[in-house]
Formats: sequence, C-alpha cells, structure tokens
Amino acid sequence: MTKRMVFVDTSLCTGCKACSVACKAWNDLPAEKNQLITSYQAQASTTHNTWTYISMHEKYENGKMEWLMFKHQCYHCAEPSCMKACPAEAIYQTDSGYTIIDQNKCIGCGYCVANCPWGVPKTDPELKKTFKCTGCIDRVENGLLPACVATCQPGALHFGEPEEMKQIAEVRLAEVKKDFPKAQLYGDKAMGGTTYLYLLKEEPAFYGLPENPTTSASLVVWKDWVQPYGIWLIPIALGASAVSFVTTRIINSMSKSKGGDIHG
Amino acid sequence: MSPSFGRGAMTNSWQDMGNSQCFLIAGSNCAENHPISMKWINRARAKGAKMIVVDPRFTRTAAQADVYAQIRPGTDIAYLGAMINYYIENKLYDEFYVLNFTNALLKVSKDYKFEDGLFSGFNPETKKYDYSTWAYQLDADNKPIKATSLDDPDCVFQKLKEHFSRYTFDVAAEISGIPADKIKLIADTFAENRPGSILYALGMTQHTTAVQGIRCYAIIQLLLGNIGKAGGGVQALRGEPNVQGSTDMANLIANLPGYLPYPTNAEVTLHDYAVRYGAVQHKPLVALLKAWFGKNATAENDYGYGWLPKNDPTNMPTQVEFFNWMDKGQFKMLFNWGSNSTVSIPDRKMVLRGLSKLEMLVVADVFEIETAQFWREPGVDPKSIQTEVIFLPAAFVYEKAGSMTNSSRLVQWKEKALEPLNGCWPDLDMIDRIFIKMRELLAGSTDPKDEPILKANWDYDDGHGEASPLKVLQELNGYNDNTGQLTASLGEYLNAPIGTVSTGCWIYAGVTPPGKNLADRRNNTDPTGLGLHQEYAYAWPGNIRVLYNRASCDANGQPVDPERKLIWWDAASGTWTGNDNPDVADKTKGPDTPEGKMAFRMTPEGVGRLFAASYTSGVPTSPVPADSIAAIPTRGAGMTVDGPLPEFYEPIESPTTNKLHPNVQNNPCAKIVSTEFGDPEEYPYVLTTYGVCEHFCAGGITRNIPYLNEIMPEPFAEISKNLAKKIGVKDGDKVEISSMRGKVVVRALVTDRLQTLNVNGKETETIGMPWSWGFASLNPGPSTNTVTMAALDPGAGTPEYKCCLVNARRA
Repeated sequence: MTKRMVFVDTSLCTGCKACSVACKAWNDLPAEKNQLITSYQAQASTTHNTWTYISMHEKYENGKMEWLMFKHQCYHCAEPSCMKACPAEAIYQTDSGYTIIDQNKCIGCGYCVANCPWGVPKTDPELKKTFKCTGCIDRVENGLLPACVATCQPGALHFGEPEEMKQIAEVRLAEVKKDFPKAQLYGDKAMGGTTYLYLLKEEPAFYGLPENPTTSASLVVWKDWVQPYGIWLIPIALGASAVSFVTTRIINSMSKSKGGDIHG
Repeated sequence: MSPSFGRGAMTNSWQDMGNSQCFLIAGSNCAENHPISMKWINRARAKGAKMIVVDPRFTRTAAQADVYAQIRPGTDIAYLGAMINYYIENKLYDEFYVLNFTNALLKVSKDYKFEDGLFSGFNPETKKYDYSTWAYQLDADNKPIKATSLDDPDCVFQKLKEHFSRYTFDVAAEISGIPADKIKLIADTFAENRPGSILYALGMTQHTTAVQGIRCYAIIQLLLGNIGKAGGGVQALRGEPNVQGSTDMANLIANLPGYLPYPTNAEVTLHDYAVRYGAVQHKPLVALLKAWFGKNATAENDYGYGWLPKNDPTNMPTQVEFFNWMDKGQFKMLFNWGSNSTVSIPDRKMVLRGLSKLEMLVVADVFEIETAQFWREPGVDPKSIQTEVIFLPAAFVYEKAGSMTNSSRLVQWKEKALEPLNGCWPDLDMIDRIFIKMRELLAGSTDPKDEPILKANWDYDDGHGEASPLKVLQELNGYNDNTGQLTASLGEYLNAPIGTVSTGCWIYAGVTPPGKNLADRRNNTDPTGLGLHQEYAYAWPGNIRVLYNRASCDANGQPVDPERKLIWWDAASGTWTGNDNPDVADKTKGPDTPEGKMAFRMTPEGVGRLFAASYTSGVPTSPVPADSIAAIPTRGAGMTVDGPLPEFYEPIESPTTNKLHPNVQNNPCAKIVSTEFGDPEEYPYVLTTYGVCEHFCAGGITRNIPYLNEIMPEPFAEISKNLAKKIGVKDGDKVEISSMRGKVVVRALVTDRLQTLNVNGKETETIGMPWSWGFASLNPGPSTNTVTMAALDPGAGTPEYKCCLVNARRA
C-alpha cells in the first residue's frame, strides 16, 4: 500500500473525545480509572491502554476566550527514533508509512519510550510489552478508515494520500490564519515528516509540544556511529577520554569560580 | 413554535444546516450534546457561514464560534427583545415576507393592553389569563380586518413595535450582562447573513419563560424572512433519538397522538369535541378512535369517544407535579419506562417522598437505575418504605426493531442487530404481554371502567408469539375501510370521508403504504445538493423536508433564492412542484389564489403569527346540527398561556430586581411546585445546570459504560477565578454548593470560561454544574438536582433547571 496520511485539523476539533472511545473499542483496550485533571480533561497522557486522547488548553486574553483541543497519538514518523532505539528490532515501518511494534519481538525494555520526542509509546509493566497507536493498520490495509477518523463528526480528522492531505491542510491554514496569526502546520518538518499532520491555532509550546522534535543526539551517535563503526571507534574513544581527562583538570583548575548548568 | 407557525416541530433538518449563512446557537450546546450537528454546521462554515453562540458558559460549542457572548442565565428574552426592537427601528426586516407571510397587518382588538408587566385579562387569583382581549378586530365573516399599511396604529406590527421599544441595547445589557455593543454585533451579524438558522435545546426551554423565549426566535425569523427557506428556520434540537417521536405520540399532557387537543370534561360527547375544535380536529380524532377500538368504534357509539378518560383543565399535572400527587396518595402504582426521575427531577427529594407512598413501582430499564433502587439511597431507611418494587430488565436499542423519529421529523426504521441477552425483553413485548394478561383477568367484567380495555383493538402478534413493531407503525399509518388496505398516502387519508379511515397518528399517514415501509428507505442520493434526500426514510407530514416551504417563493410562486430552490409553481402543469414536497394546502391552487398564497396553512390565519392572537377561523353554524358535525369549518389557534407577545421576567430565584417592572418580578403564570426558596443575601450565586458530551441525560446507561466514565469520571462545579479567590478555592479542590433545597459536594473547576458579569450595576457570579450523576451505577456521584428547584413554565411545564440561587464554599 502506498503512503497514507491523517490530517488533524485541531481548529475543528470540539473535544468530544469520541476518537479516544472509538480507538479503545476497536483495539479492545480496557478503560482506566481517572479523575478530572483540568476542565473536562481526565486523560493525562498516552498509556499502554490509552493510545489516543484529547488535551484541552484554555487561554483568556484581552477579554477573548480560547479553548483549544489537541489530539495525541503516535505520529508515525518517517524517521522514527523509537525504531532506531529498539534493541530488539521489534519496531518496523510499513510502506503505507506506519510505525508498528511487533509484539512477538518486543522485550518491553522501554528504550522507545525514552526516545520518542513526544513520549508516546508506553510499556505495560505486567506484560513487559510496549504499546502505542497502530494507525489502525488492520483497518487501513483492508480499505477502512482508522477508527478515530471514522467516528469524528465535526470533520477534524481526514485520511488519504499525503498530497491530498497537504493540500487540504494548506487551504485550512490560510483560512484559520486570518483569525489566528500564529496558526501553523505541525509535523511536516519533524522526524523526516510525520504521517499525522497537524494544523495548530497557536504555536506548539502552547499545547506543550516540542517546537522542533528531533531524535536525541546521543541516540544518533550511538546508533549511526558507535554501533556500525564500533570496532574502529573504541581506540579513538579511549584516546579521546584520555585527552578529556587531562584537559578537564586543567579547565577546572583555571575556572573554579564558574558554575551553572551544562546541557546537551 | 406551534402558536407561531402552526406545528410544534423543528422547521428544517440536520442536513439543511449545511445551507445556512449564519447560526445563532443560544440555549444549545450542540457540539457537546448533539455532536452530529457540527458535521453540517462545519459544511456551512466551510462556505463562509458565521457562527454566534450565546451561553452562560464558554462551552465546547462556544470554542468554535465567531461571536460568543456570556449571558446571565434566564435573561434571553432581554437581548432577543433588543434584537427585535433594532430590526424594526432600522427596517432590517424583510418587508415582502412580513406583509405576505405574517399577521403584521392584521388589526388587534382595541381592548388589548400591556401595562406594567401584565397583559390584559390577568386573574391574580388563578394566576391565569383570559385570552379574550388578545383578539383581532373581525369582519362580518369572522375574518381579521387587515390594515392597509404597517403604520396603522391598530395593526400587529405596531403593537410589536410598541411592546419592544422598551428593549434598547443598553437595557438589555444591564439585564443580561452582555455588553450593548456585543448585542448589536449579534443582531447585525444575524441580519446581514441570511438565510440564518437558530438552534436551541434545553438551554432555552428549561425556564419559567421557556415558551416565550422560543416565541422571540419565531418573531426574529419571521421578521428576517428566514422561515420556510433552506438554511433558515428554528431548530429545536431533540435530546434523545426519539423525542420527536414520543412528542408525536402525545407525551404532552394536553395532546392526543398527532397533536390533537386532549378532550376535557367539558366535551362530554364527540359532538361537543367537534363543536369546540372543528372538523380539522374532529376527523383525526375519529380516525384515532378507529385505530384504537377497531370494529368496536362505530358511528352509533361515537366511535368509542366515551371510553377515553377526560382531562380536568383545573388540574393538569406534568411529570414533576406527579410526585407531589403521589405524595398526597393520588397514585397506587407507577410504571416507569425510560426515565430516571430520582436523578432527573428538580428538587428531587419530592421524588423519594412520592415513590415511597406507592403500593407498587415497576421500572423497566437496561440497568438497575437509581429510580429502581430509590430505597437504597444513602441516608434513606428502607424499613420505613412499603413500596413494592419490580424491575423488568429491558432490551437495549440494538436488540429491538422499530421506528425512531428524530429532530428532522424523519421517521427511520431499524432492524434488530442482536437477540436480547439474558431474558431481557423489548419494551413493546412487555407492554403487549401485560395488556393481554390484564384483558384476560378482566374478561367478563361489566364494570364500565374496564370497557376500554375489553373493547380495545389489540393485535400486534407477529405470528411467533412476539409483538411486531411493524404492526404498530402500520396502525399509526392507518387503514382505509373502502379498500380494506393500508392507507397509501397522507392525501388518501385527507380525502377519505370521515369515519372511513383509521390512523393511530394522522401525521404519520402514508409512512407504510401497502407492501412498503417508507421509513426503511436508505437511498442517500441528493441530486440538488441541498440535503433534501427525498428518498431516504420518511419525514412527516407528507415527506416535507423544509416546513412552510411555500414561504421560499415570491408573489409569482418562484423561488426567491436561486441557489436554494425548494419548490415553485409550474404554470404549464398548473401545480406546485419542486425539489421538496410542497407544503401547500392544495397543489393545484396557484399563487394568485388565497390557498396558493398561504405559507402557514396550519394556523387559522394562514400566516406566521408575530402576535399570538386568540382566534378561531371559520363560521360555525349555530346551533350546530347533530347530524352534520363533520362540516364545522373552524380551526383554532395554538395559544401561549402567558401572553401574546414575549416579555422578560426574572427567574423565580434571581439575584436582582426586574428592571422593566419591579412590581412584576417573575412570570405571573409560572407554576411553583417547590416550597423552599432562597434570597440573594444568603444564596448570592446563580447556578445553571446542563449535560456533558460524555454522559447522556440522567446517566442511567452511560454511567455504566466504562469508556465514558473514563473520559468524564465525576460531576463538578465550574466557577470563575474571581469567585474562586473570594471563597478560597483552587482548581481541583472540593466545593460545597448549597441552596434552600439541599447541598452537594463536588470538585471545583476554576476557569476563565466563566467570567463575573455586571448585572444592573452589580457583580454577578454564575456557577455551572452537570446533572447526570446519581448514587448507583459503576460510577456514582452526587445529583445536582438535590439543589435545583421545581418551578415550571406555565405552558410547556418545563422546570427552571437553568437558574436557581446557591451559595458556594470550600468543602
């Protein structure tokens, strides 16, 4: 099957959460015991039993109220860091663009959990298996819409060929931008381009999303350099650490008064 | 809507919303409670339609709006009155429409008056109006006298103008808390974008001024020329898939199926009924009696009219008042179907009192709802209650066949998907079995009160010992004695002589012609793109999809809107025809005839009623000869019991004084059932209650569905940040909400979605609470109706759930 795409038009989402229910019904996932976290929202994040949910965000500025919705689920990236991170090679991609966890191979190590820029996959501590949205691959490859798309009444979810989805997204963006100057598409430039493309009314940070989701540098170094070229790198690494040992001592002795955070 | 247009039904359809240029959504939270509406609203918005939302809270519907206004609960008539005033003063109305399709020109009786909050004819002792002064000036033929221009001081239009002249934007702003410039923006947006559609639901009807609020909508839409047009109309969004169906089947106390007036003890014989209501009601009543009593209904025995119990007009209790009557020992037994009164009735402790006085309570439901175990409520002593309770496990919606009639008046047939599990029965089978058993037990009785049961026409057996829902629908459709067949169409019923046809609900005549079930049609084609879907199921009456569609044409019978053509007069064939079924009195009468001009054929004047006058058309011969009662050519108007024009009254419990007339604070006709009321000193905040998307009504089903409990686990109270600060509550804290009737403790949601309003110069707080929880189910929670009050609209009997006074403190 050729590539598919889901366009999530958050400007039309009414936060009814039917997508979350439809997902659970189709995938036979049990309900969880919750309490309200904030206005009308009871699901805090994806879990091994909740593969999609809606977060709700309030903003009151200059006498104008906004209540924005965001649908969370796996983005099905073109260059998925979860797949890169998986030591058991349990994660694979389909031609249609979906990132799938092969439950027979999954060892529940949680590397994919730690390495997803959105923290989507979650490990079931009892089964020791990791779960996330499958994109309804079983429905899609049999000619059905994904369960969430099929149930969405306001028309916030669209499914189809990537080019068609991008066209719809551009038209909607131009329309929404008239009232929301910060409106933007999200996902098209991240992680090699995501299968779930979003239209946001505000910048990503407003929804608690990373501005530029990337695969962590350490994972790239490890997977793209250390593993393939590991044999050659060992003596180089040893040499480097010897150099580092010496230079660090020199730097420390020079600037004892300086402190602060050092981030990677 | 019936007093305004002649039929008490939503004028357009769900699909038709896709044709609108503007939506005024006020009294409806449709994105949450009618999610399907957003599908069609969004199609219209994609073509540039505007969306206005007026609500006491910023809801998930408001989140989609172009214009949002926060209103103080119960003050809709203030800002709607200001819109009416503005449209008249600035001549923004559709003059052709107003002149031709409304009663604007008809002259009102000189005795009609409105002074200091009261219309003429009020009796303070009975709290009722005598309608006689709300009349027209009549000519010798009993026809209303027509003024020659809208400037005539006696005409309806001038009465309307004078009445609403007090409603300026500033006055409306002080009352409602909506800034004056926002009301003007709403008025301009709605007038500039036609056709515009108004959507309402329980947010508008659950007030002591319910009917008059909807009357404002009718007046606005008649002034703007928005009724009878694709994309226009007044949409009463029904809260349940079959509410329209149950209303058609007479769930209103003063109706028989098909909206026939229910006979009272003043109409002892069928002749009395015919004299009172005219041939227009007499014929369907005879057809109904024939359906109910079959061969036992004959001309000689008044078709069994004597077997119908008669209403006592001095005592017409609605559902809420029933529980008071139970408490007084009026009832021995209650069959409770599809209702969870222990959760849903306002000031709900009277439900417990009432049910406790019964000898027997039978509850049929899918789950063991609170009402079925009312004696188990915490704090109740089961030993003190003698009521015997029987629970009948009912089949779920997918386990039974039958028809449902939705808001679009669309009668849709469905088949059973699964056999009922674990010995559950469809409701129809329960009723069928109980009736047959009762008749068996009464066999041979000569007691007159048993006669209706013994004489009833009761045969729904499907041949396999179960009741057939199709036979029920066929009974509603009716049979023609002359052919011995099912009636083939509404026309066949209308043309048949009286006493030769039966129908269990005359507006359904034609739904099942011989060999067919039109409700079961699933042809989804829509060649016009207007969402008319003529071949999909069947819309009453006569498969008309947009009611009053004659009003979409000009004086020559041609569509005024070339983009949205519904019907037209085809001069070549001499008939009304079109994309929709024409809603005309006679399809062969052209636009130059009185019948062909008539856009509202179900009102006695044939026009839309800006002023709900008391009027009966036709001239009854006097005295009426006993043998020709079928010929009484009269038609009475549907009345609004609390005034011919809408007037603003404060809710029964209000934080302020009525700005327009302090001496008449509330609706003078309101029915007061609760006995405890609070004042604003002690209970300073306004509580409004509502449903949420995730739970359905009293939650009897949805609180037992884990997926829904997961996404909306508990009830809550939404409060403004100002109020939270004042009472020292943070988001997520527990808060106690109390009224004179009782108190509950729930989680507080502190939000900007509710703002402090400025009402009559004073800061006013609104608190919002959903009401769908009760003490039982998988996911119990406190019932908000412990706090609400039972005060009813005098016409519709709906309780004022939407506003009462409460206090709030940290729990």
